[in-house]
Amino acid sequence: MRLVADKLTRSYGARRIFGPLSLEIPKGTVLGVSGSNGSGKTTLLKTLAGLIRASGGSAKIFLEGEEAGAGHAPREVAWAIGWVAPDLALYGELTAEENLEFFERVRGRAPAIGRARALLEGVGLPPHSHSKKSLSSLSTGQRQRVKLAYATLHEPAVLFLDEPSSNLDADGVEVVARVVAAQRERGIAIIASNDLRDLALADETVSL
Amino acid sequence: MSTRSPAPVLGAALAVLRKDLLAEWRTRIAVNALFLFAFAVLVLVGYAVGPTRLAPEDRPTVNAVLLWIVIFFSAMTGLARVFVKEEEAGTASALRLAAPPAAVLLGKYLVNVVLLFAVTAFIVPLFLVLTSFEIACPPLLVALLVLGGLGLAGASTFTAALVSKAAAKGALFAVLSIPLLLPPLVAAVSGTQVAARESSFAAGLDFVRVLVAYDGVVTTAAFLLFDAVWRE
Repeated sequence: MRLVADKLTRSYGARRIFGPLSLEIPKGTVLGVSGSNGSGKTTLLKTLAGLIRASGGSAKIFLEGEEAGAGHAPREVAWAIGWVAPDLALYGELTAEENLEFFERVRGRAPAIGRARALLEGVGLPPHSHSKKSLSSLSTGQRQRVKLAYATLHEPAVLFLDEPSSNLDADGVEVVARVVAAQRERGIAIIASNDLRDLALADETVSL
Repeated sequence: MSTRSPAPVLGAALAVLRKDLLAEWRTRIAVNALFLFAFAVLVLVGYAVGPTRLAPEDRPTVNAVLLWIVIFFSAMTGLARVFVKEEEAGTASALRLAAPPAAVLLGKYLVNVVLLFAVTAFIVPLFLVLTSFEIACPPLLVALLVLGGLGLAGASTFTAALVSKAAAKGALFAVLSIPLLLPPLVAAVSGTQVAARESSFAAGLDFVRVLVAYDGVVTTAAFLLFDAVWRE
């Protein structure tokens, strides 16, 4: 498994946000992306994840056992991508468990009994803290933990984490470290952040 | 390890339907907008034209137009929310990554069909009573309401996806929807006039055919174009 970017570029009109950028990230790698505010970290992650179209070049994901193939554009394998970002929200009218069960269903998997609850406990949310509350009534930090559970629910091949420790306490930062460690075993993680605690989890860092 | 293929469309669409109806049940934002608008307009129409203010020979023409105006503007009031709320709440990215585009469109279409049929079931009996609108061929009216509703829901759902990222969503939704929805509305109004005058279903068959063709074209076009609309 690997992620390959070849002369990847994103511009808005005449303004180039990043690129041309070429890199190859093999399985088991955690890549950090740093840069000042407005340097294009989030745009790079969104382009690599297929959430926005590249202005030039390409990004390809080669899944496990398909290394000899032509690779997939990220949006072709969106089901193999995990995503956490400050502008990502889950459904505020549903509980945390209902959110995770919904995302299991839309991915074609019947929600296993207790799986959502176990995942939420894994990110530091015991049942009494959320089970009868809508997501919108949880704190910002608790919602960030739910987002981490959402992003790893389907055991993604590539996990994108944009400012993963934002709004988290020290225990929450530990949760991020555990999530990244598990992802290293499973595939690839890319972290965009200026928080040194996040970047310390990376094997290498690209600066924009 | 995630090495699965994309989810089956129907199962994912039903999950979207279930999620949206559950969220709607808990907030009742679209339902309140639809039903309050429909109720207010029904009261106004009942007061303005009532059972006695129209000559019997004018009732089929005027009441058929008024009935579809109430249904059309009720649809405009609430149906755009299916996509607009995903963009405004920031949940669209999560849905884009998790669900196949066709499943999102089908699920949202089904949500709008449920909402529109619910509001139609509320509007039509009250309208018929308040205006003393007599229907000579009820099966024809039911067919027109079902097919017209499917067309309204289909075009509204696709237009809602188109405008969901725009700044002036409400105005753009109306501007794009009205020309798209004129053909089925004209057929539905004309067919309803026939249903009021003629007891034979065959007398309105041409209008039923127009609506079937419109629904087929709109649904096909929506599924062909939606991937580009949703992903960009």
